[in-house]
Amino acid sequence: MDVAVETTNLTRHFGTFCAVDQLNLRIESGHFYGFLGPNGAGKSTTIKMLTGLLGPSSGIVRILGEDVSDPQRALAVKRRIGVVPENLALFDNLTAREYLTFIGRMYLLPPATVRERCEQLLAVMDLLKDEKKLTLEFSHGMKKKLALAAALIPDPELLFLDEPFEGVDAVASRALRDMLKRCVERGATVFLTSHVLEIVERLCTDVGIISGGKLVHQGTMEELRRDGSLEDKFIKVVGNDQVPAQTLSWLEG
Amino acid sequence: MNWPQLQTILWLRLRLARNQFFRGSGLGAVVATVFLAAAVVSGLALFVGGLLVGKFALVGVSSLHLMLVWVGLTVGFIFFWSLGLLTELQRSETIDLQRLMHLPVLLGQLFFINYLASHAAVSVILAVPAMLGLTFGLVLSHGPAMLLLAPLALSMVFMVTAWTYCLRGWLAALMSNPRRRRNVVMGITLGFILIFQLPNLYFNVIARGNRDVAQPAASPEEAQRQRETRRVVDRSRLEQALAVQPFLPPFWVSVGAQALAEGRFGPALLGTLGCLGLGALGLRRAYRSTVRFYRGETGGQAPVASTAPTTATASAPDQFLERILPGVPEQAAAVALATFRSLLRAPEVRMNLATSFIVMVIMMGSMFMRRSLKLPPAAEPFIVTGMAALAVFMVFQFLGNQFGFDRAGFRALVLSPADRRLILLGKNLAHLPLAAVFGLLLISVATIYFSLSLAVFGAALLQFAAALSLGFTAGNLLSIMVPYRIQPGTMKPTKMPTVAMLAMIFAQLLLPLALAPAFLPPAAALYWANGDWPAWMPDAVNLLLSSLLAGAAAALYWHTLAPFARLLQKRETKILDLLSVEVE
Repeated sequence: MDVAVETTNLTRHFGTFCAVDQLNLRIESGHFYGFLGPNGAGKSTTIKMLTGLLGPSSGIVRILGEDVSDPQRALAVKRRIGVVPENLALFDNLTAREYLTFIGRMYLLPPATVRERCEQLLAVMDLLKDEKKLTLEFSHGMKKKLALAAALIPDPELLFLDEPFEGVDAVASRALRDMLKRCVERGATVFLTSHVLEIVERLCTDVGIISGGKLVHQGTMEELRRDGSLEDKFIKVVGNDQVPAQTLSWLEG
Repeated sequence: MNWPQLQTILWLRLRLARNQFFRGSGLGAVVATVFLAAAVVSGLALFVGGLLVGKFALVGVSSLHLMLVWVGLTVGFIFFWSLGLLTELQRSETIDLQRLMHLPVLLGQLFFINYLASHAAVSVILAVPAMLGLTFGLVLSHGPAMLLLAPLALSMVFMVTAWTYCLRGWLAALMSNPRRRRNVVMGITLGFILIFQLPNLYFNVIARGNRDVAQPAASPEEAQRQRETRRVVDRSRLEQALAVQPFLPPFWVSVGAQALAEGRFGPALLGTLGCLGLGALGLRRAYRSTVRFYRGETGGQAPVASTAPTTATASAPDQFLERILPGVPEQAAAVALATFRSLLRAPEVRMNLATSFIVMVIMMGSMFMRRSLKLPPAAEPFIVTGMAALAVFMVFQFLGNQFGFDRAGFRALVLSPADRRLILLGKNLAHLPLAAVFGLLLISVATIYFSLSLAVFGAALLQFAAALSLGFTAGNLLSIMVPYRIQPGTMKPTKMPTVAMLAMIFAQLLLPLALAPAFLPPAAALYWANGDWPAWMPDAVNLLLSSLLAGAAAALYWHTLAPFARLLQKRETKILDLLSVEVE
C-alpha cells in the first residue's frame, strides 16, 4: 500500500526548547489518521512541518512519496493536498466566495468547476447567507468552515486538518464528518488533530498520540479499543492520570 | 468605592501600560523609555519656559497680545490632543470593560480609571505644565489676579478630555463592527488630514496665488500705502476671527486672560464654571453611553464578533475574481485580482492613497498655481520625468512590503501550489493600477501645463514604465528580505524588526538614486538640442532612449523574477512567521 505521510526522525527546536523530538510517523494512503496530544505537545508544529508552513530543524518528511525538502517537489505535493492550518489562512478583505474562487484558481481548476464547487461548499458550510460579509467580519466558527471549504475545493488526495471541528456548529460538523468519511472511502487520506476524543474515536481508523514532542503511541483504532476507550488510553500514555484531585478539596465545601 | 478592587484595577492598568510600552525588542523598550523621559523633561522645561515668558517676556504687553498668547497655547493643545486621539482611536480601551463585566467590579471604577488613563498623553504632559508655568509667570508680572487662569486652563483641559472621552465612547459603539470600525477610523483620519491641510492649502496655493497676481509697487510711497492697507485688512480679519471666541468654549481661557489683564474677573470665573459644567456633562454622558453600550442597551453591539446573519443574497455573485487577464498566467491573475480587491477594500490603503492624492494636489497646486513659475524650456521635460519618478515614489511603501497587508492570508500563498514567480508577478500586477493612476495623472497635468509635445509625453510614459519596473524589482527584493506586518485597519507596522525599519529608511533614501536612470533620456535630448542637429531631433532622441530604457528595465525585472522566486520559496516560512506573529 502507498504511504501518504512518512517522517524520519523529524525534529523541531525553538531556541533550546524541543517542540518535536525525533518523530517517526508512517500513515498509509486511504486511512483516517487522528493525531492527538495534550496542549503544547507538538501537534500543530508537526502539522506545520508536514505542510511546509515551518521548516524542520532536522529529519525527513515524505508526503505522497515525495521528499518535500526539495522546493520543486514540495510545490508538486502542494497541488495534491488540502490544509486547514491552526491559524487559518484567510484574507481579511475578501468574501467567502471570492476566497474560494481565489483558492480554486491557484489549484488551476477550470472556471466552471470552481463556480460549481464554490456554490456547493458554501451551501454545505451554511455560508451562503453571509456572502456579502468580508471574512474579517466572520465569527471564529465561520472562518473555520471557510478554511475547511478551501481545503476541500481542490478535491485533494491528502487532507491535513488542524482542529477542524473547533468552533464549528453541530449541523456543519455533521456534514463535514460525512464529507470526510466519503473522501476516505474514495481513497483519500485524512490527517486530523482534535481535542475532542469522541470525534477521533468515531472517525479515525488510526491514531497517533504525541506528548512532549515524542510519539508515545501509534496504532489502529481497533487495537486501541481492545485496551479500553480512547480516553483511558490517552490519559494513560500522556501520564496525567495522577493529578491529585484532593488539591482542590476546598471546592468540596 | 471598594478600595482593594480599585487598587487591583490600578495595578492592572499600570501592568497593561508597562507591557504595552516595553513589549517587543530591547531597542523598542529603550526608545520607549527615552520617549517617556523626553516627554517628562519637556513638560518640566515648558513649565519653566512658561514661567520665564510670563515673568519677563510678557511684562507690559497689551491685553490683546496676552489673549493671543493663550489662543496659541489653546490651539496648540487641541491640535496635539487631536493627533493623540487619532492614534488612540486605533486601539481599544486601555482596560476593555467587556472583559471585566462578569466580575464583581463596579463599572464606575473602571470607567473612572480609564478616563484618568486617557490623560497620559504627550499633549497633556506638555500643555498643562506650559499653561501652569505661564500662569505663575503672569502672576509674578501682572499680579495675583492672574492666578485665576490656573483653574480656568485646567477646567478647559478637563472639558476637552471629558468630551473627547465621550466621543471615543460613541465611536467605540459605532465601531463594534470590525468593517465599520476601519471605515470610521479611515474617515476620521482623512478628516483630520484635510482639516490640518487646509491652512497649508490656503497659504501655499490660494494666498500665494493672490500674492503673485498683486502688482508691484511703482514707488516707495505706493509700497507704504499698500503695506498700510494690508495691515488694516489683516487687523480687521483678526478682529473678526477673535469675535467668535466667546462662542467656542476652549477659547474661554484666552477671553478670560484678556479680561484679567484688563482687571475684570467675571469672564475668567464664568469661564471656569462653564468649562467645569460642560466637562461634567460630557463625562456624565460618556459614562451613561458606555454603560448602555456594554450592557447591550444601545443600537450597537458590545465588541464581540457578530454572528448574526445578514440579508440573504438575491443578487448574482460578484465575478471580479473570476476574470481572465489576457496574457497573464492563471495563478498570477488569481493573485493579482485577489490582492487588488483586498487592497482597495482595506480602508487603510484607501486612506493612504487619498492622502497621497491630497499631497499631490497641494504640491502641484503650489507649484503650478504660482504665476511667477518660469522655467527654461529645456528644463520642462525633466519636470515630467520627475513626475514619473514621483508616482513610483508615492506607491513604494506598498511595493516594498507587498506581503505585509496579507497577514494570515500569506499562509494561503505558502500553502498554494503556485510557482513563486507567478505569485511575485501577480503581486506586482495588483499594484500596477495604483501606480499607473498616479503616474498618468501627474505626467498628463505636467505635460498640459508646460504644453509639451506628444513625443515628450510618450517618452515620459516610457520613463514611468522604466521607473516602475525598477520599483517593482527593488520592491520584490525588499518584500522578501525585510517584510513587516501591517496592523489591520491602520498603516502602522507591528513589531517591525529594526533591520526592516533601517532597510525601508535606506530604500526610501536611495530610491531617487535607483530611479535616476529615468532622467538620462531627457538629459541626452538636452545635449542633442545644444548641438547642431535638426530641431525635431531632441524629442526623437528622448523617445528612442526612453524606449530603450523601458526595455532594459523590463528585461531586468523579468530576469530577476526567477531568482527572487527561489528566494521567496526559501524564505516564505520566515516571512509567514513575521507577518502572522501577532495573530498567533
